[in-house]
Amino acid sequence: MKFLCVECDEPMKLHETRAPDDSGSLAVRFGCPSCGRDIAMLTNPWETEVVSSLGVKIGPSGEPEQAASKCPFSGVVQEMEAERAAPAAPGAPTAPSGPQWTAEALARLEGIPEFVRPMARQGIEHYASSNGHAVVDEKILDEARARFGM
Amino acid sequence: MKSYADIVGDGGSNVLDQVLSQRAAIADALAGVRHVLAVGSGKGGVGKSTLTMALARALAGRGRRVAILDADFNGPTQAHMAGLEDTPWVPGEGGRLALPRLEGGGTDGEGGRLGVVSLGSLLARAEELSFDTVSHGEQHTWRSTREFAMLGQLLSTVEWGDLDHLLFDLPPGAERTVQYAQFFAGALGEGRVSFVMVTLPSGLSHGVVARSLTALAAIGAPALGYVENMAGYLCRDCGEVKPLFPEAEQGLDAPCLGRVPFDPELAALCDAGWPVDGDAGSEAGGAAVAAVEAVADNLGQVMPPAEPPPPTPEADQPLETEP
Repeated sequence: MKFLCVECDEPMKLHETRAPDDSGSLAVRFGCPSCGRDIAMLTNPWETEVVSSLGVKIGPSGEPEQAASKCPFSGVVQEMEAERAAPAAPGAPTAPSGPQWTAEALARLEGIPEFVRPMARQGIEHYASSNGHAVVDEKILDEARARFGM
Repeated sequence: MKSYADIVGDGGSNVLDQVLSQRAAIADALAGVRHVLAVGSGKGGVGKSTLTMALARALAGRGRRVAILDADFNGPTQAHMAGLEDTPWVPGEGGRLALPRLEGGGTDGEGGRLGVVSLGSLLARAEELSFDTVSHGEQHTWRSTREFAMLGQLLSTVEWGDLDHLLFDLPPGAERTVQYAQFFAGALGEGRVSFVMVTLPSGLSHGVVARSLTALAAIGAPALGYVENMAGYLCRDCGEVKPLFPEAEQGLDAPCLGRVPFDPELAALCDAGWPVDGDAGSEAGGAAVAAVEAVADNLGQVMPPAEPPPPTPEADQPLETEP
């Protein structure tokens, strides 16, 4: 979708994207490079969904993602992340903390797409714990890859 | 006033470039895959996943490098059949995931290698695959689009490496089969993809598969043929195969690659991941092996030739001549 400043006959530039709010509306601000006039395109949830379901990012290129796109596993991922982040209830026994990650191993984990990261993390931590490792380093990742990967 | 075409680029997000990048990432990830075989069905529960696993094992048994992508995201069964339900997905190199491997992938346990990617490795058996949407209550509207977005992400995320065959265990449904054919055409181009259909012998099941075959033919997607599963049942008392369904009066407009009778013992073996060897032990088992081998033989005829290996440095050297 392109926007044109009719008065100046100039294509407007995309300046800013605001992620969907609770109502599912995406706000995208455009400005005319000639006269400086700003306009905002406000989508309804269905319009937001059209771009979101394509898995593309909406926003000025080169800027951090402020996308309408959500990962397809988002429901599962959010649940897993919430479980990890949830503080223990007062009086509840403290859950044993998982293995620590070295910076190099963490970088490798963070290199894989976000939508499978929590599952990969959980699987590797389980593998490391089961094999008596308190730290996940690149050696553990290579070991697991050799054992489970093609 | 300028028109749409007068303005170079898009609104600023480069959506088209992003979509093209997604396609390029898929093509790059699948660059080493010689051939894709999509196993589809009209109705669910006809044995499509079982045939996929059986075929993968048979091909691996022939020394091929094979992988299965369980594209039945809402009913993934391949992880269970492969015994990979608790296998972690391991970060590999270059931001990709290692392709999970099935131990002893071939039917003889010593053949080629077999990888299996199935959401059944990630999701508990009773857990639904939910897609978060901003248009609350409209998940159904976007589900298909989101599933294909996920398919694209999975394809570009896994280290497929060099494979002879990548088998897709498709979700049931005539329209899904066609959607996948169109997806493959966009992502892989022509000449690397074939379809095989699984059906029951009933006229009802044939009718749905006939629709799929017609739709595939209309878009030029090649179908190797079909396998008829539960083609009667093996009576243990008299040893004869008796009809299970009112059978269709005529076959489908595609080669029939095999007819496999129902046998509870064979079904139990298949649920455990097809540990059926060449001596299958019963008429049903023998028919199942024959059907799988027929599909595998047909695949050999449609496989694109392997890329010649790159010339070795020695081969590039001019032949030395006698002084």
